[in-house]
Amino acid sequence: MLKNFIAIVSSVFFCAAAQAAEIRALVKDQKGKAVADAVILVVPVDPRNALHAHAPAAAVDQVDKQFVPYVKPIFVGSTIRFPNSDNIRHQVYSFSPAKKFELPLYSGTDAPPVMFDKPGVVVLGCNIHDWMIGYIYVSETPFFAKTGPLGTAVINDLPAGEYTVRTWHPNMDRTEESTIQHIALSADTPSVAEWQIGLKPTIHVPRVSGAASADYP
Amino acid sequence: MRLRSCLAVGAALHNVGMHCQGPRTFHKATPASAGALLVLCVACHTARSDWVVATAASLSHDDNVGDAHNHSDMVPDSSTSATLSAFDLLPVGRSLSLVAGSELSGQVYDRLDGLRNASIDGLLSLKKKWGIGAFAAWSRAQVSAARSDYEDGYRNVTIYRASLEMGKRLDERWNLAAGYNFERRAAAPGASEIYGVSNDAFSQTGRSFTANAQYALSDRMSLSLGSLLRHGDVISTALTAGHYYPLTDLKAAAPDPAFGPTAYAYRLDGTTYGIKLGANYSLTDHSLIGGAFQRFDTHARGGNNYTNSVPQLTWNYQF
Ligand SMILES: [Cu+2]
Repeated sequence: MLKNFIAIVSSVFFCAAAQAAEIRALVKDQKGKAVADAVILVVPVDPRNALHAHAPAAAVDQVDKQFVPYVKPIFVGSTIRFPNSDNIRHQVYSFSPAKKFELPLYSGTDAPPVMFDKPGVVVLGCNIHDWMIGYIYVSETPFFAKTGPLGTAVINDLPAGEYTVRTWHPNMDRTEESTIQHIALSADTPSVAEWQIGLKPTIHVPRVSGAASADYP
Repeated sequence: MRLRSCLAVGAALHNVGMHCQGPRTFHKATPASAGALLVLCVACHTARSDWVVATAASLSHDDNVGDAHNHSDMVPDSSTSATLSAFDLLPVGRSLSLVAGSELSGQVYDRLDGLRNASIDGLLSLKKKWGIGAFAAWSRAQVSAARSDYEDGYRNVTIYRASLEMGKRLDERWNLAAGYNFERRAAAPGASEIYGVSNDAFSQTGRSFTANAQYALSDRMSLSLGSLLRHGDVISTALTAGHYYPLTDLKAAAPDPAFGPTAYAYRLDGTTYGIKLGANYSLTDHSLIGGAFQRFDTHARGGNNYTNSVPQLTWNYQF
């Protein structure tokens, strides 16, 4: 009996380990420079491969009157807390169709968590500090990652099978759909997905702006 | 530039301190310096509330500091200014906020030592945002009271200002604002020397309209255009007392020794048109440097017309 149980458990473990596949992603810009904060999305062609995924709670902090992290990918259905590590108050809002919300002015960890139940890009702002901007990417797939300073990201523990992969970045000069690649993942060798995307020059609302008005001498 | 700003702040503090010892300005300067210290202490101690502390320094040159009409009376000079300000933001409602703040500033001239001054300014403003977000239109009502103490104390002045402003950021590049400003400068009457003419030459009342536009060329670089239309009292200083106006045009006259032993200041009614062209470059998220050129064209009664050209370099830091 015990022998049978060990045999079943070890075969299940072996199968799962054997089937775990990995994607190594690299995103570069038009000049070949590494692109950080690009979201990599891995969508299984067979939706059964995305079953039983859970949506963990996450947080977007506010540090030195900036959202940290600048880009936060989450799985649809996740809740996000917005703790405020500054010693001043913030008033976080979003007008994005994927999630419209407005937190009242708060400090510390007083703000209620926000549930993101629709896939898409959510642009965050603060009504007090106009220069504050952040992005939440609400992913329809549980398999995603964000590139680091080297432009790389690794997504592992993927069931072997057929996938489409794509990338998104706040400054990307083309649509997400145009970045779609098809990949067949096998358990033994990691697959590589690379993109070269154009980044638009962005202009942020300045934190410090000089006086434009003429001062009568 | 940094050293010069330190000198300006030093001079400002020195001015306030120095005047505390003079019996004439003792009662005026003590509240000013005490107020400045109080504001700075409160700002430091309440760093855990919604205080914003900012500092700025500027270097500018005016080709006609005394606003003189005749070419021979024009005195050009350069000055260095430094400002330290602290503002507390008190949100009143969802889109209404009250700002209470104070500013301590100093200005040092290269040649005109008598114009060296220190100021303490207290202000209160109510800002209404007509919506949520960076692109919502806003309007603001502001009142302020300031005290400026000069090296030559006869120019000391208490300044009351009130303004109404509104603006809107159209997009990430364009930012527009316009305002109406009222200013009353109350100075002590000067030594009277012209019979039948007021000697209250350094008190002024003026109203002005301003309109400004800022345009971001890139994430760091922006250009600005400011315009001003002002009507009210102007003070024009001639280096000798021989400049006579019809008494109907002259509102007041008094000696103005900061410009020389025989200099005379005349207060007249005038209209000023001003324009400012500027460029700013963000050094970091918290600081920027800017260059600007201002030009003012004033038409005062009695044919007293004059211009000022003021190039300026600025540095701003916001904590
Ligand atoms: Cu904020």
